[in-house]
Amino acid sequence: MKLALQAALAALLPATAAFADQDVKINFAAEIGGHPFACDATFTDIGTTGAAVRGTDFRLYVSDVAMIAADGTRSPVTLAESAFQHDGVALLDFEDGSAACANGTAPLNTQLAGTVAEGSYTGVAFNVGVPFEMNHGDPTTAPTPLNLTSMFWNWRGGYKFVRIDMVPTDKAESGPKGWFLHLGSTMCKSGGKTNAPCSPCQNPNLMAVSFDGFDPAKQTLVIDPAPVVAEADMRSNTPQTSPGCMSFLNDPDCDTVMTKLGLPFKDIAAGEQQLIAVR
Amino acid sequence: MRSAARGAAVSVILSGLLSGAGFALDAAEAYDWPLPDWMPRPSVPEDNPMSAAKVELGRYLFYDARLSGDGTVACTSCHDQGRAFTDGRQVAVGIHGTHGKLNAPSLANVAYLPVNSWANPHMTSLEFQALVPLFGEAPDEMGATGQEARIFATLAEDPYYAQAFAQAFPQQPRPELFTVTRALGAFQRSLMSFDSAYDRFKYGGELDALSDAAKRGEQLFFDHRFECYHCHQGVLFTDNFKREGSPWVETGFHNTGLYADYPVSAPGRIEFTAEPGDAGLFRTPSLRNVAVTAPYMHDGSIPDLRGVLAHYAKGGREGHSNQDGMIVGFTATEAEIADLIAFLESLTDERLLTNPDHADPWPKDHPARIKRAEP
Repeated sequence: MKLALQAALAALLPATAAFADQDVKINFAAEIGGHPFACDATFTDIGTTGAAVRGTDFRLYVSDVAMIAADGTRSPVTLAESAFQHDGVALLDFEDGSAACANGTAPLNTQLAGTVAEGSYTGVAFNVGVPFEMNHGDPTTAPTPLNLTSMFWNWRGGYKFVRIDMVPTDKAESGPKGWFLHLGSTMCKSGGKTNAPCSPCQNPNLMAVSFDGFDPAKQTLVIDPAPVVAEADMRSNTPQTSPGCMSFLNDPDCDTVMTKLGLPFKDIAAGEQQLIAVR
Repeated sequence: MRSAARGAAVSVILSGLLSGAGFALDAAEAYDWPLPDWMPRPSVPEDNPMSAAKVELGRYLFYDARLSGDGTVACTSCHDQGRAFTDGRQVAVGIHGTHGKLNAPSLANVAYLPVNSWANPHMTSLEFQALVPLFGEAPDEMGATGQEARIFATLAEDPYYAQAFAQAFPQQPRPELFTVTRALGAFQRSLMSFDSAYDRFKYGGELDALSDAAKRGEQLFFDHRFECYHCHQGVLFTDNFKREGSPWVETGFHNTGLYADYPVSAPGRIEFTAEPGDAGLFRTPSLRNVAVTAPYMHDGSIPDLRGVLAHYAKGGREGHSNQDGMIVGFTATEAEIADLIAFLESLTDERLLTNPDHADPWPKDHPARIKRAEP
C-alpha cells in the first residue's frame, strides 16, 4: 500500500514540476553601520550626530524577483509558497522577538527560495515592496506573510515595505524616543484611509534593486540602513511629523533619506539606492 | 459549516479515534463561532478544543461565586457583560474588598490575544491565566488558595454540574483544576465582538452606519499626525494578535509615558523580566468597546476618553525614558477631539453587551450568585 502510493506520487512528480527549472536560494544579511544586526546589540556612530542606537525592528517585503543572464535578459524566480513567501512576495525578517525587538515575532527569514528557468545567471533583480495589486487588500484576512499587524499602515497606504526601527540609547533631552524608517506607498487616492485605492499610488515607492554581478551560491545581499540615514539626525525629529522618516511628503526628515533609497521625494531626485549591497 | 470548522471537527474525531476514547460527544457538539465571513478564527490550545458543552459549562463557572474562598466573588465580579466584561472601577476589587493594582481588562475577543495579562509576557493561555484570579494572593482576588478541594466538592454536589462536567469532559467528568480552567478558557474564547457600528460600516458596506463625526474621526485615527494606529492597529485595534493557521504570534507592549517613575505596585513588564528597558511597558489594549470600559490605562488612572487623548496629545502625561517612540504628541482642535471620540464610540458592539449566550445563567436565589459581589 505504502509502496504503491510512493510509486504513484513519483509518477506524478515530473508532470507537476517544470522539468527545466533549477532551484535558487538568495541569501540576505542585516547590518546596522556594518555590524551584524541583533536585537540585543547597540550600534554606534549612526547619522549626522553619530548616535548610538538599538534596532527594535528589521523587516522588509521583497517581490518580483528575477535572475539576470549575462546578456541582460531577466528570468522570473518563482518563490516557493511558505509562511514567509506567498504569490511572489516574500517577507525578510531579521528580528527574533527578543530583547529590544520584543514587539516582534520569533521566526526569522533571511533567504528567498524558489525556482528559475534552467540557465546561467550573473545577476539578480527584485523590488523592495509589495506590488500594487496585493498592497491594498484587507490585511486582516490576507494570507501569511501579508497578515502581520506591525507591517501595514491601513488599506489605502498598504504595507510597510521596509520597517527598520532604531532607538537612540543616548537620546537628546528634547529629542524623539526613536527614529523609524518606514517605507511605503504615498498619495494613494481613495475615499478614505481604510479604503483601497482603485488606481496606482502617485508615489508607489517600490524600490527597484538590481545587481548585474551576483552569485547566489557565493554572495550575500547585505541590508544596512546606516548609509541611508547618513545625513539624518537620529536624535531629532521635525515637530508634528512622524518620528524618523515614514515616507510622508510633509516630513522634512525624509529629505535626505528617500533619495538614498533610490526614490524621488517631492522635488528631490532619486539617487542610487544605498540600502542593499552585494558582498 | 465553513471548511475551517469542518477541519476542526474532523481533527477532534480523529484524535478521539487515535486515543481510542469516547470523544464522539465532543465531536457531535463541535463549536463554531458566529463570526462574520471576513474574520479569521482564533487559534485554540491543543489540550482544550472548543465544544458547545464546554463553553456552556464555562459560562456557569464564570458566573459562580462559589469558586471563591467565601462564595462572594465570581469572574463576573470584575468582568461585567454590560461593560464589555470590565468593571467600571479604577482597579479590580477582590475578596474582602481587597483592592487590586490593575484595571480589569475587557474579555471581548480575548481568544485572539497571545498574552492574557497587562504586563506578564509569560501569561500565554487563558487556562493558565485563570489560576491568577482564583489563587493569587498579592492581591487576593477570589481567595481560593488552599481551598480547592472543598470548592470542587461543593460544585460536584450541584445537580447542574453533575451532568455538565460529564457532558463537557467525558473522560474527567468532575470539577477539578484541569476541567474548571479549560471550561473557563472555552467560555472566554466564545466572547466574540465584531458587530459594532464601525464593523457594519467598514465590512458590511452600510455607509450610513457611522455618523459624519465618527467618519471624520476614523480618518484622524488613521492619520500619522495622531499615530493612534501604530499600536492600536489591525482588526482588534491592538498590536497583539494571533489567529488560526498563521505562524505569527504578535505581541505589543509599550511605555506610554504615563509616569516618570512607575509606582512599584504596577511597574510594567520589568516586574517579570527584571529588564530595565521593560519598566513601564504594558500590553496595548484593544479599542473595541472602549467607550464602555472606562476608566482607562493599566491602572485606571484616567477617567474618560477625553483624558486619554489629552495624555497622548501631551506626548505622555509625565514622560519616561522608556517611552515609546511613536508617542510624539500632537495638537488637535476641540472639534477633532470630538470626532476621534465619536469614532471610538462607534467601536461599541451592543450585541456583545446583551447577548444571552454570554449572560448569567443562574437563577437569582441560587447559591452560585446569592452572595456574589457585583461591580
